[in-house]
Amino acid sequence: MKCKFGKTLLKLLGIGLVLNVGLFCVFFFDLDGKLLFKVVEPFLKNHYDNMERKDTLKAPYEIDKFPKYSYDS
Amino acid sequence: MAKNIKKALRDFWYGKPHTAEEGGRRLGDLHEDKTHLYKHREWRGVKDTMYYFYMIWLYNYIFMVKDVMVMGGLVNFAKGVWRYRWVGQTYLPVLHWFDRGLEGMRGEAMKASAWHYRAMVSTTIRQFQRMFAADTRLHGGKQNDLYKHTIAHNETVWGGVFYPWDGEIQNVPLEMIPYFVTCHVNSHTVLNYIDAVQSIGLPGDPCPMCQAESGIFVLDDVPDYAPAVVTCNEACDASVSTSTLQDWFFDKPLFSLPMPMIFDDPLVKKYCAREIEELWKFVEQQYNIPFSWDKLVKKLELQNELQRFEWEKWEVAGKTDYYPVNGVAQALYRIYQTQYGDWEIWHVTDKKVRKILEKCVSKKINSFPQTRHRVIAWSCAPLYYSNWCTWAYNCWGLNVIINMDSLMFDMTIRTDSYENTLEDMAQYHLWAPMRRMAVGGMKHMFELWEYMEKFNCDMVAMYDQLQCKGVQGLHGLFEDEFRDRNAKAFWIPHALPDSRTVSRAEIRRLINDYMTTVMHEEPLDPSLLDFDDSMTW
Amino acid sequence: MRDLKHLIYFENLLQEANNDLVKQAKAEGKRAIGYTCYFMPEVLLDLPGCFSVRLRAPRCTSPDIATYYMSARVCHYARSLLERALEGGFNFLDAQMATETCTATCRFQEHLQQKHLDSVKDMRIIDNDDFFCNFIDVPFKNNQIAYEHYRDQLRAHVLGGLEEHFGIDTSDAAIMAAIEQQNEVSRLINEIGDYRKLDNPTITGYEFHVIQLVSLVCPKYLILPYLRETAEEMKTREPDQKKEFRCKVVLAGSENDDPDFTKLVESCGARVVCDRYCYGSVESRQIIEVKDGEDPLMAVARHYLTTSNCPRFMPQDEMRARKQRIAELAKEYHADGVIIASNKFCEYWSYERVIDTVILKRDFGLPVCSIEKEYINSASGQLRTRFQAFVESVEIKHIQEGK
Repeated sequence: MKCKFGKTLLKLLGIGLVLNVGLFCVFFFDLDGKLLFKVVEPFLKNHYDNMERKDTLKAPYEIDKFPKYSYDS
Repeated sequence: MAKNIKKALRDFWYGKPHTAEEGGRRLGDLHEDKTHLYKHREWRGVKDTMYYFYMIWLYNYIFMVKDVMVMGGLVNFAKGVWRYRWVGQTYLPVLHWFDRGLEGMRGEAMKASAWHYRAMVSTTIRQFQRMFAADTRLHGGKQNDLYKHTIAHNETVWGGVFYPWDGEIQNVPLEMIPYFVTCHVNSHTVLNYIDAVQSIGLPGDPCPMCQAESGIFVLDDVPDYAPAVVTCNEACDASVSTSTLQDWFFDKPLFSLPMPMIFDDPLVKKYCAREIEELWKFVEQQYNIPFSWDKLVKKLELQNELQRFEWEKWEVAGKTDYYPVNGVAQALYRIYQTQYGDWEIWHVTDKKVRKILEKCVSKKINSFPQTRHRVIAWSCAPLYYSNWCTWAYNCWGLNVIINMDSLMFDMTIRTDSYENTLEDMAQYHLWAPMRRMAVGGMKHMFELWEYMEKFNCDMVAMYDQLQCKGVQGLHGLFEDEFRDRNAKAFWIPHALPDSRTVSRAEIRRLINDYMTTVMHEEPLDPSLLDFDDSMTW
Repeated sequence: MRDLKHLIYFENLLQEANNDLVKQAKAEGKRAIGYTCYFMPEVLLDLPGCFSVRLRAPRCTSPDIATYYMSARVCHYARSLLERALEGGFNFLDAQMATETCTATCRFQEHLQQKHLDSVKDMRIIDNDDFFCNFIDVPFKNNQIAYEHYRDQLRAHVLGGLEEHFGIDTSDAAIMAAIEQQNEVSRLINEIGDYRKLDNPTITGYEFHVIQLVSLVCPKYLILPYLRETAEEMKTREPDQKKEFRCKVVLAGSENDDPDFTKLVESCGARVVCDRYCYGSVESRQIIEVKDGEDPLMAVARHYLTTSNCPRFMPQDEMRARKQRIAELAKEYHADGVIIASNKFCEYWSYERVIDTVILKRDFGLPVCSIEKEYINSASGQLRTRFQAFVESVEIKHIQEGK
């Protein structure tokens, strides 16, 4: 039982260590920045550039649609 | 050899020293050309690097995910990212915004400044998640309960006017997240909006901030998250006109909350107070939820706490060398907090910063030991290069102690009676951002001298927003005054969010020129004098 | 058409701010009070003992010193006024009644203020020991609260200033007298302007522009006889047999005190039949009504806020209604189209022009020519091409509609 617990603990510590080292490498070599700049942003930019958008200049402009919002008169 | 090993070990443990004479850290060499991405992030010594890695980089990534999950959920976030450019293209590289602002910082300065950044990130997430959760466009046109309890407003309407409905109606500024904060994090996004509004015939000369705010609407990139809107004339003529354009495209009940421009006049305050009351009636009418005096008082008192701590910070900044907040964190946090109004995260942050501040004062820790000049930054800053002051400290030892935007809301609000509260709220509203000093009576623009003395500054960084008529209209008088007073001052021309008008490299070149030709000084870190970051966020 | 008897005299009066009639009034002991914006009620500056002068800077093409003070990125109009002031062209002024109704003119007027701050040097631009400059705050809305605030501002800073510095009578009776005088000017200008509504107008847009301007820049009591005579002359003026124009237009937009601009439009075949711009008559020459028992100052405040169509007004209903008003003017004056002209760097009109250009065409079927111009139009060649093309497009539209 004790041995099993010890093994799990060691395993967890090992995973933790690998994760920490891995994340530190991502951090230190700015891999997050490189991924975002070189892959994610161009992909999203392309998506937004090609998105269908409504022609806002066709939006109605109803002159009398809204009242005067004034209360102290 | 032994000396070299010793130095290497020292550099490893403490980080390389700042100045070239001491075998400097050469921060400019850390970056790739053009993209300005790190070849590798800065080694700040064991302690500070680990702090940066765990408590800034990792902590903020984790809490960003947590914030998204808690404040509206991953599904709404994903839908929002897919639908709106300003969130998808902008907010992913947020940790690089931290990097730019905190570059070269060590110890307490790094920590205190980073907490300010963290608060801004959290508040930003909370706002865009509320937009997405309430957005009819992301929910098949349905006006859900959140929609019915959200009010949209111009980003320059002080959030405090909605305190009486705290917990019942959530105010979310229209442009603060889609436009204003984006420019700081990723300056690419906003260019789409500026181009969009010019494509329908607007000339290029009005304030580019207002252009961008209009462009979001032109490009159909505004969530439909509230049944009513409150707008105002802050900060300038173009802002008034932006409201007209926004009204067309938003097409919702809109209340205009005017800010009188000549605001020293007591008669003006009386008028402004009456207009705030009108606004309250509008909100009651539109949402059918009564005004609560108790909620207003409770929130104002919380806000007053924030202001009192800010005064303590100013006291330390003005009278000692132990102020641990850098120029960009000071400016952005302060304008965000005061403009948006009270929120829990500001208190949490202030508590952490207070600890750091007290430590710095009691232990006499000078967080900016290479300071050569104490600088006051005046007028409106370039949004795409708000971190210029971090560069200026690293390169030249120019320590920006305080800036104009921080100083605008210099007051607490009385809560002892309805009349006093209303009067003070009117005053606060009149001291709107980019307003109190930049437009309106010029007297306030020239309060520069007073604040320069108060914060013990010996140099002025004078922002020159090329399309701000209020500041441009006083350009010559400032030149005359600088000359007559023999003041050390340099100009920073820029076009607020538009990084194409005056590039970051051009701003650096102007400061470099001033420091070499006028001040005859040598750079602390020569690797930062000239580099190409033309494609950076 | 027969030349108007006083046209050349009027044109001469517009050559400089300190014109013959201003000099005459000053010689008679009257105080000259300058202003720039419609929101400074000229009627209050025309109280007995003083007279209003709406500031212009004719023939100012290169405001070099003003550009040093205000930079090249501020509206040419404001810079030209400052340049003229720096040249000494406004030294005849005894006071400037200022408004912060647009940032650029605000900054110009702040340069004129004397001995008011310790933090910045006194430039003493107006070389006149009596000179003072007072600012008022003008509301962005036209509701009851705004009327009251505006009235209080006028009382404190305009009437208060005139009384304190020059002992001007600011009683209700004096205000009523000034209203009477202004209403007479307005009636005459409207009478003359109404000839523009004829199928073949008996007055050109240029002539009317000149007449309207002299009514703004000269002492009212001295210009009135000339206006009366011109109104009388108009009654018998015959139009040319052959129409001298190809279409009629409403000219709308920002500050315009340059009759040569109107002349340029008309030389391209478009007759300007309505002047809906700053310095135009559509707003400024409406009759001020004082209701029975009403405080005349309140009547003035209400009048100026309700008659203005300035794009700085922010209530939602007002933002929208002013588009319709331009369409209504086009109908009233039988115009075939609208020219929307904004001064470069005028932020209000830059936006308003964009919206007008879309809405007037789309929702009201009006052809629109949208242009950006300078205070003094040096780029007349480009503008000429734009106007000619617009006139042709209106003609083609007429042909297509079988008119």
